[in-house]
Amino acid sequence: MMRQKFHIDFVKNSKIFFCISLGIMLVCLILNLVLLPTIVDIQFTGGTIIKYNFGGEPSHAEIEKTVTETLKGIDTLKNEKVDFSYSENLAANADDSTKHIISLQFTGNKAVSIEHKQAITDALQKAYPDNSFAEESSTAVDASKGANFFLKCIIAVILAAVLMIFYVAIRFRKIGGLSAGVMAVVALIHDLIIVYFTFAIFRMPLNDNFIAVVLMILGYSLNDTIVIYDRVRENRRKSGPKTTTAELVNSSLNQCLTRTICTSITTIIAIGSVLVVSLIYGISSIISFALPMMIGLISGSYSSLCIAAPLWVIWKNHQAKKKAEKKKNGTSDKTKKDKKTKKEDKKDLTKKEEDTSSET
Amino acid sequence: MKKIGKPVFFIVFVLILALAYTSMFGVYGENGDFDVTYIKGINDIRWGIDINGGVEAVFAPADGIDADETQMEDVKGILDSRLVGQNITDYEVYPDYEHDRITIRFPWKSDEKDYDPDAAIAELASTSELTFKGGTESSGEVLLTGKDVKRAYATYQQTNNSSSSMEYVVGLEFNEEGKEKFKTATSNYVGQQISIWMDDELLSAPNVNKAIEGGSAVITGNFTSKSATALANKINAGALPFKLIVESYGTISPSLGSNALQAMGIAAIIALALICAFMLIMYRLPGFIAFIALIGQLSISIMAVSGYFTIFPSFTMTIPGIAGLILSIGMGVDANIITAERIKDELWTGKTLDGCIRNGTKGSFSAIFDGNITVIIVAVILILVFGPANILSSLFGVSTTGLIYAFGYTLLVGVISNFIMGVAASRLMLRSASGYKFLRNKKLYGGAKS
Repeated sequence: MMRQKFHIDFVKNSKIFFCISLGIMLVCLILNLVLLPTIVDIQFTGGTIIKYNFGGEPSHAEIEKTVTETLKGIDTLKNEKVDFSYSENLAANADDSTKHIISLQFTGNKAVSIEHKQAITDALQKAYPDNSFAEESSTAVDASKGANFFLKCIIAVILAAVLMIFYVAIRFRKIGGLSAGVMAVVALIHDLIIVYFTFAIFRMPLNDNFIAVVLMILGYSLNDTIVIYDRVRENRRKSGPKTTTAELVNSSLNQCLTRTICTSITTIIAIGSVLVVSLIYGISSIISFALPMMIGLISGSYSSLCIAAPLWVIWKNHQAKKKAEKKKNGTSDKTKKDKKTKKEDKKDLTKKEEDTSSET
Repeated sequence: MKKIGKPVFFIVFVLILALAYTSMFGVYGENGDFDVTYIKGINDIRWGIDINGGVEAVFAPADGIDADETQMEDVKGILDSRLVGQNITDYEVYPDYEHDRITIRFPWKSDEKDYDPDAAIAELASTSELTFKGGTESSGEVLLTGKDVKRAYATYQQTNNSSSSMEYVVGLEFNEEGKEKFKTATSNYVGQQISIWMDDELLSAPNVNKAIEGGSAVITGNFTSKSATALANKINAGALPFKLIVESYGTISPSLGSNALQAMGIAAIIALALICAFMLIMYRLPGFIAFIALIGQLSISIMAVSGYFTIFPSFTMTIPGIAGLILSIGMGVDANIITAERIKDELWTGKTLDGCIRNGTKGSFSAIFDGNITVIIVAVILILVFGPANILSSLFGVSTTGLIYAFGYTLLVGVISNFIMGVAASRLMLRSASGYKFLRNKKLYGGAKS
């Protein structure tokens, strides 16, 4: 008998958990489609980079303000997101008045017309008469990481998922590893959807950070699920065949709960420190990494406990039911092993609907 | 269980401290007037564009060649591979198919003494076509090209004239077509010289003694470990379909700056302090040991980024990279948490302390092992798919992606260092510490008072 502090019936309440998850996803999906469309970074969409050269040392924040305000007056560019970056020209023909360069990056395929470029130049020249602002170049940029890149990411994730199912199937064959592996992947997909919606709802552009968060959550959520399966495997060995799958999974989940919570806490402490510090310092590129990561971590722990394991129980019970029906229909090839499993399956069935909170 | 001696705790502890100190501050010395780096610390890490700024260059095809889209894509892929081959993982490449321009941005440490941005850009733009020619003239008959090479790698072998000294060479493995061509070429040129060229530069001109059938060759010629690796990377990345000229280049200012670096430093210290407090409150003695192991784990991660030894180049570290590293601090104590929870479970059954530690460490291993192996699967796939190996290139064309490759690499290092520190070192320390009388109170392990 194990020390057990929690007695939560995860399996019985699984319908509630599924509803919570699906509900959140549905709300996010509606918000995403109606109010808050996904923003995609220039790396994936392509766009336009316009460069202006100038002399002297005007404040960068002021320049950005001038440009943003000019854009607000242009209908087609009103809602475009612009990224600013600064550089210094090292070429020999650059003198003091053309040495500094500001680049404006427009995402999306909307062309920035000659009039618009001129409008920005005029505004800059008006605001900074002494700095000789002039358009240096305008480049149409193709997506450096286009659809092909996304496809490659998806293939890589699928490849990893297949290998993981394969590994879990072998290592956990005593408890029916293949279905366990599939359910672990279902939990992963759940987490990835949540991460995607976090980016969409908080208006953060899908960029390198998105890929990094997705990959990190992939590893974390999986690790969480495996630790639980490990406990199920061990308890299956210890307990007799009388224990139902639901009982087994419930007691395993409760035994692992302290660990799951503690690891989540230390991980959230770590990423939370990053989030708070970057909020204070105003580092937006890190906020768009830390916030979805934090939500993904919570989702990862939640999905391991409340999605993967209960789903697996439902699957197991479903399988047992099918097997029992087959038996009833009169296949009579009964080895000793078959008898044993049949007994086990029947127990599974009869106990399925009962309150399965495990004993201490 | 073999008893672990009491001093082991202190030996492991001191080793971890030494590792932490050297990985953070490095080991430097002076040799006459020169500063010598023996071991690289945090200051030797190549920071990303966001922290340190970098170089931007615009390339165009030379001689007014009108490149088509596939060629431009090839060029982009090769530039990707060349940059990642130099361990520059934080870069941006923007092709402009309409005007046949490629804009490239990569980080560059301005105070780096041995780094010349002009040379680096020139090297990126070079065609880098490897050729084998008959005779020693550059006009000689072309026998093989880089396309016939399956794989190039840096290695070392004994020099021809003395058996005791070793030299660095670049080994080549030919593909099926290359094997045939090389066999024909060497049988045609028995007793003569064959020369190996990189663009217009003569690398070596060996004498052919007999026809070679094995399908492999080596390039000799006063290489250092660094230059041999660089050449091998260049050959592996492949040749550009045409020569590129540098249309313009300049420096770019950091987008986030040293301010952000400082912020990440503060975040790391806060995270470490809070996790230390949490682990001490929750797990007491095992918690304290977990914290020491965590310091060791973090040191290994920093080592893996900086290169640690001077022969390994540093990876590029960006602000998101640092955030990821801090995140790994939080996940790093997981193995310790699993073990400590197990020991608590065991103590609850009322066994002896030694028995509990033994059963607890034994019982928790499979969970840690299986959990980490699956993460290793993810990491290895990322390295293979997005790194220079490019295993999906037949489907999607060569497209190396630095950021994801770097992510896979740090993930893999994280798991390995977790096995070393969170599992092996932690257990040694725990078993050794439990030998001290004053540390034998079960309360220190989360159990009831003994």
